[in-house]
Amino acid sequence: MLDIVLILAALGCWLAASFIPLFKLLDERFYLGLGVLGSLLAVVGALHVLITGNASGLDFVFWKLPARIEVDALSAAFLLPLNLVAGLGIIYQSEYWPTSMVTGRSVRGLFGLLAASLMLVFIARQGILFLMAWEVMAMSAFLLIGTEHGTPQVQRASWIYLMCTHTGTLLLIAAVALLAHRCGDLLWIPHPGLPDSSLDSAIMVLALLGFGIKAGFLPLHFWLPEAHAWAPSHVSAILSGVMLKAGLYGIIRLSGLVPTTPAFLGGLVLTLGAVTAVYGVINALAQSDFKRLLAYSSIENIGIIGIGLGLGWTGRAYHESWLTALGFAGAVFHIWNHSVFKGLLFFGAGSLLHATGTRKIEALGGLAKRMPQTALVIFPAVLAVAALPPFNAFLSEWFLYRGLLSSFQRGESWAACLALPALAISGGLAAVAFAKFFGFVFLGEPRTSAVEHAHDPGKAMMLPMVILALLCVGLGLGSVLLLPLLDHVVGVVAPEATGLLVLGIGPDLALLSWMLALLLVLGALGFLWLRRSRRNLTTRPPTWDCGYARPTARMQYTASSFSAGWASLVPGCKERMRRVRAVFPRPLTYRSEFQDAVGEAFVEPRVDRLAERLLRFRQLQHGHLSLYILYILLALLGVFLWMLVRARLLG
Amino acid sequence: MSESLLFRIIHIALHLLTALLLGPLIPGLINKVKALVAGRCGPPVLQLYYDLAKLARKQAVFSQTTTWIFLAGPVATVAAGLVAALLVPFGHSPAPIHFQGDVILFAYLFGLARFLTVLSALDTGSSFEGMGAAREVTFSALAEPALFLGFAALAKSSGSLSLSAMLASPGFAISRATGPFILVLAGWMIVYLAENARIPVDDPNTHLELTMIHEVMVLDHSGRPLALVLYGASLKLLVLAALILGPLLPRTDNPWLDWAAYFLALGLFAVVVGVIESITARFRMNQVPQFLMASVLATAFAFLLLLV
Repeated sequence: MLDIVLILAALGCWLAASFIPLFKLLDERFYLGLGVLGSLLAVVGALHVLITGNASGLDFVFWKLPARIEVDALSAAFLLPLNLVAGLGIIYQSEYWPTSMVTGRSVRGLFGLLAASLMLVFIARQGILFLMAWEVMAMSAFLLIGTEHGTPQVQRASWIYLMCTHTGTLLLIAAVALLAHRCGDLLWIPHPGLPDSSLDSAIMVLALLGFGIKAGFLPLHFWLPEAHAWAPSHVSAILSGVMLKAGLYGIIRLSGLVPTTPAFLGGLVLTLGAVTAVYGVINALAQSDFKRLLAYSSIENIGIIGIGLGLGWTGRAYHESWLTALGFAGAVFHIWNHSVFKGLLFFGAGSLLHATGTRKIEALGGLAKRMPQTALVIFPAVLAVAALPPFNAFLSEWFLYRGLLSSFQRGESWAACLALPALAISGGLAAVAFAKFFGFVFLGEPRTSAVEHAHDPGKAMMLPMVILALLCVGLGLGSVLLLPLLDHVVGVVAPEATGLLVLGIGPDLALLSWMLALLLVLGALGFLWLRRSRRNLTTRPPTWDCGYARPTARMQYTASSFSAGWASLVPGCKERMRRVRAVFPRPLTYRSEFQDAVGEAFVEPRVDRLAERLLRFRQLQHGHLSLYILYILLALLGVFLWMLVRARLLG
Repeated sequence: MSESLLFRIIHIALHLLTALLLGPLIPGLINKVKALVAGRCGPPVLQLYYDLAKLARKQAVFSQTTTWIFLAGPVATVAAGLVAALLVPFGHSPAPIHFQGDVILFAYLFGLARFLTVLSALDTGSSFEGMGAAREVTFSALAEPALFLGFAALAKSSGSLSLSAMLASPGFAISRATGPFILVLAGWMIVYLAENARIPVDDPNTHLELTMIHEVMVLDHSGRPLALVLYGASLKLLVLAALILGPLLPRTDNPWLDWAAYFLALGLFAVVVGVIESITARFRMNQVPQFLMASVLATAFAFLLLLV
């Protein structure tokens, strides 16, 4: 009971915070205080639920229908990253998007509203309440994406997002209605004892499509890169770190509600996840805009989480509770890790944008010298996103690898055979993409004058990044402590697999953590040994460049050539360059364009054509009042006719 | 009990000494073999030890472009190599540290070393090192699936996710797993040559920038950082060799005989690599991905064979 009160209080704080910008008298400190208080309350409540594993809920009547809000371990697992990223986000925002900006107030209000509605999404346990929260979330995200709506690209990105999210909501309304039909009421609590029905598969497919649009699974992802690239960076952090996960939350929650989880779900989600991961990462490494690169990397991570979820459902279908536990725990752990490192990366991207004003990787370089603190705090996130030890994402992928490898030993799933190489290659390619990001933004010499006046951001922007960077290391080394928490989450999704993790992988994970600590110690010793030799030259010559007298920064390797080996495989990437022919060739130009293979290259032209066909119906809308009255008459006549004929037709 | 404890301590001490000290011997052996095949006398087998001792005392030169990242590459190569050496069994005696799932850590440690080496190459801002880094990341992303598919095949056949059990499983007894084993080892041999920057993928000796992959990434390192780079590379040669030698070696009842057999096999392995390097030519750059693809296919096929 205490927990749900805490969470409700936090929800109230966020809601109140979202109205503060409406009143000009109240200032920023009040807003910040309320938001941070809200996130602290929610973090405490969610942690308590995760540690004890006890759900607490509240029944009430909503529009004369019974309704319920409840926070159980699964909800808490999503409330935790939400409040972490949102709480740090408003601290970051106070410097990044000051109130003096034209949109300063509206962004503050909408950010609070987005956080509040996301909280409600995670605790609502009734169909209509959930859908309302979902719509408020979708609309506030739409308005946030369109913050800088003066720019045509921003308008385009936000409208595409709006269309996609509403298509998703339509599907969800159908899913919720079918579920209500199946269970007899709108409450989202398990209904044991219902007979099997083919409706369950239909509900899950609808949910997978509807929530899949929000989560960004493969053919439905195309709204995502644009929206995340054009939103203000702290908004991108919460969109990518939390809102995508709301889609995953919906799928997990509904799968626990339908009386029988369909058997195909595991294989389907596993395959989708594997394909999404590889597609996301290979597109990420072809990007020349660092925020789009981060957005595509989010698609990759959603795929990785999908692999975990698919593994979990496969385990359920084959009654292998060990697989179920590893799959779901890996997925949830990766959800936490992704919000931490992707939040950090988007905050860092915001600092870069703040300092240089450009999102082009090719225009930057040498920022590690000009923004040394930013480079240092982003570094853990860059390693984490490539799933490298000793940082947090390596641990969650370790769960997934273990699950996949042990599923072969039992030899049940063909989809797992696809997912293992997919996971391995997406890890390898993520390293390419993020070596490109870090290497060409922070290292080398500045490529253009955009970098000249760059400097580290102030305390309000650094503090959230430092906290997240410490979490990247802390979650990596202290993962053993999280096992009981993950056990409780798994217990909600798959009651038969409760309590396996602590006993099953606790000792292994403890040894692994010691090895990671040893790695850090060895690394520190190595640095000390290198630093101790004071005999190093004090004068620093330029980098040796094969004897050129005056090497320039433009002679450096470029980010696009760095990833050219793989980028040529990306379906939407077009390069144009003339071959060098003569002995003294004319100046050459190189141009590369990128289009998302699904969204821009396939869906958009078809939608445009459809829209053109539908234009002819516009003739019906011409502004002649008399004709409109005629329409009404005709419609009425039609209804009458139908009522006359209906009795005959339907008997 | 005390005797077995004593044995355990001696065994671990032997393992640690091997890991720490034996690495630099392997490049020496390979180079000696290459020189002999070419009809030269060649540098002494212990040359790398002398080089390391000298480099540790030398001044390092740092370019004005570089930052602390420049040092992260060499440090990570050695740190990751040493931790990996704790996880891998040398021969048939289990590694000092083993747990279910250590194989994943093992693979990602090399990923970490490679990633930071690439970053420290980019840190110099030199176009050559950028080119080397680009080639390295392009090719290594192919080596990773080959390694993992091989691990998956061994995990399936041995029923374990720990390197010590996977590599020490029945060895080359004639069984259903023999064919897949050969394929996995062939695939891994390619990975070994590619990961260690050996001919026919890369040439560790050339200093012609246009043909290099790994060597060009460390052009600007000198003094102690270069010592770490060279030591890290030799550790990699030693540790990855254990992957291939483990399943190949016959098993005896006497652990000391196992150790002796392992050292002998390691020496022979270095000779084999030296001979391969002497009798093959380096591939053109555009053929390297095909060569690596062959390793992916071999391990994938082995994995499929074990699945059905």
